[in-house]
Amino acid sequence: MERGDDRGAWIWTRVGLESRGAPFTVAHICDAAVAEAHVDGAAVTLMSAATVWETLYATDKPAARIEGWQLDFGEGPTVDAYQRGGPVLAPDLDSLESITRWPVFATQASGEGVKAAFAFPMQVGAIRLGALNLYRLAPGPLDGDQIADALAFADAACVLLLADAEGERTGAADLTWYRDGQSTSQIHVHQATGMVLVQLNVSAESALARLRAYAFAHNRPLAEVARDVVDRKLRFRPDTGPEVVADD
Amino acid sequence: MREQGLAEVFVELADTLVDEFDVIDFLHQVTIRCAEVLEVAAVGILLADQRGALQVAAASSEQTRILELLQLQTNQGPCPESFQTARAIAVPDIAAEAERWPRFSDEALAAGFQGSHALPMRLRSTVIGALNLFMRQTGRLPDETLRIGQALADVATIGLLQARSIRHHEVLAEQLQTALNSRVIIEQAKGVLAERYMLNMDEAFIRLRAGARGQNTRLSDLARGVVAGTVDV
Repeated sequence: MERGDDRGAWIWTRVGLESRGAPFTVAHICDAAVAEAHVDGAAVTLMSAATVWETLYATDKPAARIEGWQLDFGEGPTVDAYQRGGPVLAPDLDSLESITRWPVFATQASGEGVKAAFAFPMQVGAIRLGALNLYRLAPGPLDGDQIADALAFADAACVLLLADAEGERTGAADLTWYRDGQSTSQIHVHQATGMVLVQLNVSAESALARLRAYAFAHNRPLAEVARDVVDRKLRFRPDTGPEVVADD
Repeated sequence: MREQGLAEVFVELADTLVDEFDVIDFLHQVTIRCAEVLEVAAVGILLADQRGALQVAAASSEQTRILELLQLQTNQGPCPESFQTARAIAVPDIAAEAERWPRFSDEALAAGFQGSHALPMRLRSTVIGALNLFMRQTGRLPDETLRIGQALADVATIGLLQARSIRHHEVLAEQLQTALNSRVIIEQAKGVLAERYMLNMDEAFIRLRAGARGQNTRLSDLARGVVAGTVDV
């Protein structure tokens, strides 16, 4: 299968090749990302603040060490990606730009042979889970296709972690809801997330989880459930669970 | 087209391009001014994500129906065509496009629009998105009006990518993805305000934007605070 028009579907197929039938994990995503983005290593780090994080998986020792240095020094592409809410690409850690931006991290990483680092946030709007981070031993930019792949793998990791948080065992079929990115229906999902957050007085992440759990339990598309919330036909209540307000 | 005030619009937009300006707020302002100056009913800006799909970045009206009309152009409509060909696309009669773009045509007509234009947002040889104009009546806008529209599209492009030496697709990826995620945060914040104060989504956006002005905060920072529950507006 080629990437073609549906990169989201292709990404899951690609992750499936790594998992060989087992439930997907971030390790499979990292391994696939290394192969497809032509980098030397990858890591997934969970973050709840720029200084509070846990590396869930790293493909090799340098990948793990890059994460550790950034946590120690409080600077680097991962830190910036988390704070900015967008990817941070450092194709040459010996460049003046990188050294100025991250004096300690860039020097340390380069001294240990890591010459390029790329951080891709795992996020859905204000929901920030952490980042997928890639590195290279030789300097050089990612090309457009590799960036697109890396973003799609970061999205996949994000979806997987949200599903894991709900205790789902994840296969490709469960993960199609986010693969279209911000399509028309996603607008409603994001708006409904904000509404359910208020209804339940929980975090955005929990609100999205509850929406997804409801859709899953009722075997309905997430977008349709979100639409009902936005149209105020469905509300969530903390104690008794969701309630249908009105029928058309 | 309203000629007077045009210079002021460009000055105002240029003034916005200072340090720490909010990209989505700026693009929203472009759409509002565009609708006023070109005298069209609605204006939207779509940006290409790195997956090559167009995503809504801003609209002159935040009504969900308008956002949907813009967003369904991931697949069909004048914007993807403008994006792919890097040319301006005129749709003088939306009803005549029912076969070519069935869903776009249906939704646009249902929203009360008869005509549309899409103008490419170009950065040298790269197209990063499209500016979309909607009219209540059929027919093409005059060339002169479209030239102004294109100039506003170019201002939007410059605003999006300003102040950075462009490392080609890398900085482009950083900026576009950050802007598009800001857009998602704003949708989530609209949901929070809509529920808390029983507003529709358009009113929720107006309240959010007024809050950003009042607190002198960037729109996306305020939206993030609203979703996190650390600020109220």
